[in-house]
Amino acid sequence: MGPQVPLITNYLTQHFLDDAAVGLEGYERLGGYAALRRALENSPADLIELITSAGLQGRGGAGFSTGLKWSFMPADGELPKYLVCNGDESEPGSFKDRILMERGPHQLLEGILIAAWATGAEKTFLYVRGEYERPAEALERAIAEARARGIVGTNVCGSDFAHDIVVIRGAGAYICGEETGLLESLEGKKGQPRKKPPFPAQYGAFGRPTTVNNVETLCHVPHIVNNGADWFRGFGTEKSPGTTLFGVSGQIARPGLFELPLGTPLDELVFEHAGGPAADQRVKGVIPGGLSMPVLPADQLDVPMANEFLRERRTMLGTGGVMVMDERTCMVRASVVIAHFFRDESCGQCTQCREGTGWIHKLVERIERGAGVMEDITVLEDICAKMEGQTICAFADAAAWPIQGMLRHFRGEFEAHVVQRRCGFAESFEL
Amino acid sequence: MVISPETRAAIDEAIARTPQPRGALLPALHLVQAEHGHISLELAAAVAEILGIRSGDVMEVVSFYDMFHARPQPRHHVSVCTNLPCSLRGARTLLAQLEAHCGVAAGEPTADGRLVLGREECLGACANAPVLRVDGTYHEKLDSEAARQLLDGLE
Amino acid sequence: MPRISVDGRIIEVPESRTILQALDETGLLMAGIDVPHYCWHPKLSIDGSCRLCQVEVEGMPKLQIACNTPVADGMAIRTRSERVCSARQGVMELLLVNHPLDCAICDQAGECKLQDYAFEYGADASRTREPRRALKKNVELGPNIVLDQERCILCRRCVRFCDEVPATGELHVMGRGDRSVIETLPDEPLANDYSMNVADLCPVGALTTRDFRFKVRVWFLDDVPGVCTGCANGCNVTIGVSKNRVYRYQPRRNDAVNDTWLCDRGRLSYKRIGSGDRLAQASLRGTASAREPVSCGTAVAAAAARLQQLTDAAGAAALVVLASPHASNEDLFTLRRFCDALGVTARGAAVVLGPQDRLLMKAEQAANAEGARRLGFGPPDALLARVRCGEAAGALVFGHDVLDPAHLGGPEALTALETLVVVDLQDSALARCADVAIPVRHAAEREGTLTNFAGLAQRVQPAVEPGWEAWTDGEVVWRLGAALGLAGFEGAYDVRSVSRELAQAVPGFSGIDLDRVGEHGLSLAGVGS
Repeated sequence: MGPQVPLITNYLTQHFLDDAAVGLEGYERLGGYAALRRALENSPADLIELITSAGLQGRGGAGFSTGLKWSFMPADGELPKYLVCNGDESEPGSFKDRILMERGPHQLLEGILIAAWATGAEKTFLYVRGEYERPAEALERAIAEARARGIVGTNVCGSDFAHDIVVIRGAGAYICGEETGLLESLEGKKGQPRKKPPFPAQYGAFGRPTTVNNVETLCHVPHIVNNGADWFRGFGTEKSPGTTLFGVSGQIARPGLFELPLGTPLDELVFEHAGGPAADQRVKGVIPGGLSMPVLPADQLDVPMANEFLRERRTMLGTGGVMVMDERTCMVRASVVIAHFFRDESCGQCTQCREGTGWIHKLVERIERGAGVMEDITVLEDICAKMEGQTICAFADAAAWPIQGMLRHFRGEFEAHVVQRRCGFAESFEL
Repeated sequence: MVISPETRAAIDEAIARTPQPRGALLPALHLVQAEHGHISLELAAAVAEILGIRSGDVMEVVSFYDMFHARPQPRHHVSVCTNLPCSLRGARTLLAQLEAHCGVAAGEPTADGRLVLGREECLGACANAPVLRVDGTYHEKLDSEAARQLLDGLE
Repeated sequence: MPRISVDGRIIEVPESRTILQALDETGLLMAGIDVPHYCWHPKLSIDGSCRLCQVEVEGMPKLQIACNTPVADGMAIRTRSERVCSARQGVMELLLVNHPLDCAICDQAGECKLQDYAFEYGADASRTREPRRALKKNVELGPNIVLDQERCILCRRCVRFCDEVPATGELHVMGRGDRSVIETLPDEPLANDYSMNVADLCPVGALTTRDFRFKVRVWFLDDVPGVCTGCANGCNVTIGVSKNRVYRYQPRRNDAVNDTWLCDRGRLSYKRIGSGDRLAQASLRGTASAREPVSCGTAVAAAAARLQQLTDAAGAAALVVLASPHASNEDLFTLRRFCDALGVTARGAAVVLGPQDRLLMKAEQAANAEGARRLGFGPPDALLARVRCGEAAGALVFGHDVLDPAHLGGPEALTALETLVVVDLQDSALARCADVAIPVRHAAEREGTLTNFAGLAQRVQPAVEPGWEAWTDGEVVWRLGAALGLAGFEGAYDVRSVSRELAQAVPGFSGIDLDRVGEHGLSLAGVGS
């Protein structure tokens, strides 16, 4: 079985069902690389202005303005400067970048080349998650095709702009998705995030000015160049324009990838597009943006999927990985799985993260076993609070938030485990 | 154990693509592991010498990344994603069934050194859960019977 | 210079520094302004991982780590606010989650920053019920250092030290997350020349020196400032003393000399102080060639008599004087005056050469080789030539460095002389065949100053008393001078007045005064006469 093809498509994924559109010939036949040619006729400053006014936000989790990020790069001509494309998608619940790389490699390359022109980068390191062997192969093939056609190389599309793209495979470490962890990994080191300052735009890959953009973010770029900022703002909300790829998984009738405008209500996504829970089940909670985002209970699913609305519900869009849990699922058990993941993946540098993730896992695991006491729940809340906002990167926050979410909305289940000294969910998955 | 000329040539190509030799460390380790199955101290020292770094730098990296192995491995790695989306769709039950089928617990290699069953964090195939990764190849939406057959087919 | 406010106190700080660097350089860090920290160290690169040094900076929403936040003019910092205290408490609690809490059997107890900071900044009670991490204990990382992985808080000071100072890189953090451990590779032990510094750097009891562990509880130790006598670098040390016994040297920070480091050889050279091969008894060689133990006074009188006899018979030209490069400036000045008064021109000092490196280790294996040179005791080659060709009839020798293969190789040439007086720290081959042998005090047993290779005069003071009768080189010379009736050696020897006279008499030493040579030494201008 191949990768999950999108169940609802829009501009990013419209040709993903067509095998013939994956290669360079098919891509160009459908108008591919026209945006790049147009971009090369514009100045980098104009492109940065275009992307800024389009309001494109990074799709890798943090939602930072892409145009603004590009503008941080020193404008002077001193080379080398680099672009790094973050294809280390590892957020549990997310699989959009994998499909974007495998089914639309040239769309990504086009986005990369435009971003490289805009930021003055002479080389792109395309860092692909180690487990993603097929996407990496697809990209290597696409780069070879593009190089043969003069799209990548010393004269990009016949211009004076020279650009090379190198695929680097990761090797199984979630933290390399953090942009400075990724830079360390690129340099052949452990993927331990860097302290800031300095920021990548001053001191990035191999010590040079570097922009790091997520795969999906760059895939939007050619479409904005082709159709303009206003067109892009025609999708989504005022503050969160464009479509995005929602990956829906878990206890749901039609799990899959859905390209929908930002701001699509979560309940519409879950119940309409993804078909809701199994026939005899009800939704208990939904994690809206990958494992690091706090869960929403069933009565809060009317929220539009855009950060300005999700923040009001004390959660975030993250990477758009939507995980649905029905009423059979024990939320304490789910918390054990979450806590185990973050304990496993903490890079181990910062005290709060290294020790906090381990402690949270042990605590939640003990409560799940029925060996917890009420004070454990308070301690859990307290550790989470002390991990938040205090470390080199946002991983500790990402480890604390989902547990805080579970305690916020499903505290009763934790207390029941303590009181009953066992798990009361007979039909939940076993650990 | 020595790095073959072919692998060495591929490492040199990787070095040519990166601004500093050390930037080729991850590619080099993938290549060496593909050839030898693991990164022994001896191989780490050889890689270190090529890249002009210390063996310890190499072993630190090997120890940090899940996909690199410092010790000899069974012939096949079979891992089941047990993160939340897959757990919600039967991955843990599947893993238990495979453990019973192979007669080993996850993490322990079979006595004949044929395979090791493992747990994997999210593989990015959440909509097709449960997911099995066999030596780098994904097998998605598997039921228990198909998974058992897949394992039985491994040499 | 930027002006910053710390808890309302306005201070001027150097430019382009982070908050911790600025506080350190102004001498306020943990000495007026307390910002506790583990991973940061003034002589290592910034790590930023322990997160204990978080402070509040006005205008920044999150707490900032003081180690990596650059100072800026007008910056307002709070180090004691509720948010800061709560964050510190959080770090301390998390660091203790997996710590074995085995203080009762831990050698670091008493000088453990985990213990200290937990007391100062931590919560009252532990809230963890979980089993603690079980890791390797008593791991011999190399010949001098033992690791307890369970006690490690992963501040990585030791790793950065090996990477950045000796640049040998033996230590690594292997693994990830809470499985991270400090390790060496099987075939690369921690065996660099500076390995023991990692024990000083380790804020907890994870790294201890094999030499010191289990010897004595640190709260029984008195710390006396001193100078390492291993080579001409003159690294500053703290001498750990209990019951008149020296247990260790630790580096004492002196940015002009040794930063915060000490080489292993120098560190272990404290053993010479209490060593069994010390010359602990003055003696005369009788006709039966057996050594006759005598008091120091008797030995000095006998030496004076022999020297008198020699100079009477053959003149002062028949005597050679070899000074000790281990003796103090005051000793050497006294000896210089002695030679002047007696008319001895054949003077020098033999210095043994050993390994040197780009860090601290200097080739000259003596703490005051430079002082000896500046006081006129130069290379001994010409003088030794006179001994070899029979022009000398007697020798007054301080120390036994002259036995080094680069000089004499053995005692034969000297013992062939009519008269040999040896004043030595050790019961050396030379002392054993001297006509008169007189013991002296080690630098850790006396007052005085030493001049390091760069011309920095540094003070030593008594940390222990020898368990036998012994004077300093200077006092021995003084008494010899007095016994010979030489002018200028009247009354009792007083190191302070000698020091003052040295300052007046030798231009290169002007300004030297025992009490003016502060804890970081006094740079001597120019070269002595």
